Amino acid sequence: MTTLNFVRTAAAPVAFCAAVLFSIFATAPAQAANADPAAEKWVDDISQRAIKIISDKSAGRQAREAQFSTLLNESADMPRIAAFCLGQFLRTPTADQKDEYLKLFNNFVVKVYVTRLSDYHDEKLTITGSQLKGDTQVLVQSQINFTNGREPVKVTWWLLKKDSGYKLFDVNVVGVWLAQEQRSAFTSVINNHNGDFTALLEHLKGQIADAEQGKLPPTAATTSGSSVQ
Amino acid sequence: MLIVALAACATRPDPSNKAAVQAYEETNDPIEPLNRYFFELNRFFDIILIKPVATWYQGVVPDPARNSIRHFLDNLDAPVILANDSLQGEWNRAGITAKRFGINTTVGVLGLFDPATGWGYPQHREDFGQTLGTWDTPEGPYLFLPVLGPSPPRDLAGFAVDKFFDPLTYVYWNGPYTVPVTRFVVNGIDVRSRNLGTLDQIERTSVDYYATVRSLYRQSRANEIANGDVSQENLPDIDNLNFDTNEPQAVAPK
Repeated sequence: MTTLNFVRTAAAPVAFCAAVLFSIFATAPAQAANADPAAEKWVDDISQRAIKIISDKSAGRQAREAQFSTLLNESADMPRIAAFCLGQFLRTPTADQKDEYLKLFNNFVVKVYVTRLSDYHDEKLTITGSQLKGDTQVLVQSQINFTNGREPVKVTWWLLKKDSGYKLFDVNVVGVWLAQEQRSAFTSVINNHNGDFTALLEHLKGQIADAEQGKLPPTAATTSGSSVQ
Repeated sequence: MLIVALAACATRPDPSNKAAVQAYEETNDPIEPLNRYFFELNRFFDIILIKPVATWYQGVVPDPARNSIRHFLDNLDAPVILANDSLQGEWNRAGITAKRFGINTTVGVLGLFDPATGWGYPQHREDFGQTLGTWDTPEGPYLFLPVLGPSPPRDLAGFAVDKFFDPLTYVYWNGPYTVPVTRFVVNGIDVRSRNLGTLDQIERTSVDYYATVRSLYRQSRANEIANGDVSQENLPDIDNLNFDTNEPQAVAPK
């Protein structure tokens, strides 16, 4: 009896290791089956177009923003993102306020991300994998490899399947979901004005005006000297 | 003092408004007015002191020298990272940290250079706040402190515990304090100098800088705890989210 117990105890780690190894090999093909190559290709296309737009030095800021806006409206589900960013205040705006908000949101996102993305001009994005999330959503993983030796940046794309194609919902850059970041800022503005929706509209207008007056940094200086992080 | 404390509390929403209560709990920032005050205080010191010094540091000290200072400080952190790798049962990563420390302390001349990264042992960071996170300790209410910045209870406790994992704490237990203070200050200046552009950009592109920083802090901490894996779980439900339906409003699960 004791011998049997001893054998059992001794065998436990071996069995555990075997189980772990087995599960590794067993899940590998399963993950591949869960991938969505069409979504990966879609993200690859979109990101190449985006990088091309922000890398185009011949175009002025306005031209770049116009091109980026077209790309964004074509490929991202802007009304849904705008709705998401309102969080608990989704039902707060009146019909007029909603229309104004949607317009401002569009403009704001274009201005902010043309600025923030200027960091990544002339860089290359490599798709590293994808998983279906339910029937209607896909997460696509990718990585930006920098030519100047800076550590690669992980980017995850959250897509919705729409009709026969895809629409972008959110992008995760080094662990930060951008729409979630915007939502916390937007809801905070409304909260701190006692639920007044016009406060958010005013803030958005202010940001857009700042950007138009050139108060945004033209290009980010973050690429220099940040190889160590 | 009591009045100050009371005034510093964010008002709880009406309990009958479920969406508002859920949002309040998700924001989890009960002393937001006080936090905002410290945030502005830090920003003030940043503008008059830290940012100018960091800008000067970046401009005057040549890149190789600044990188060596960074590598040296990172190498000093290795024991803390190793302790936390081990506490999390991440033996593979613990091995990498140990090898990095060995290589960079010897070949890398006391940590001034980082040959280990080139040899396939890239750097990662761990701290006891993250270890607590992997043990499912919740972050707790948001707290923004002068000098330290975002320090919710879990991460603040982690910061304190990490001091005990650091051999240098015992070396300088009875003073002189110049060495630990210098280390803290130089590290702060170096980190700030590496984020001059990024923070400027975030500040100028945010409708609410404080709330943006809060979200960035929480999201990047969650990502560090997951060691960079972006998981499908914990994503908000967006299937039926739009302006035109009367579906329950989407709030991200915790």
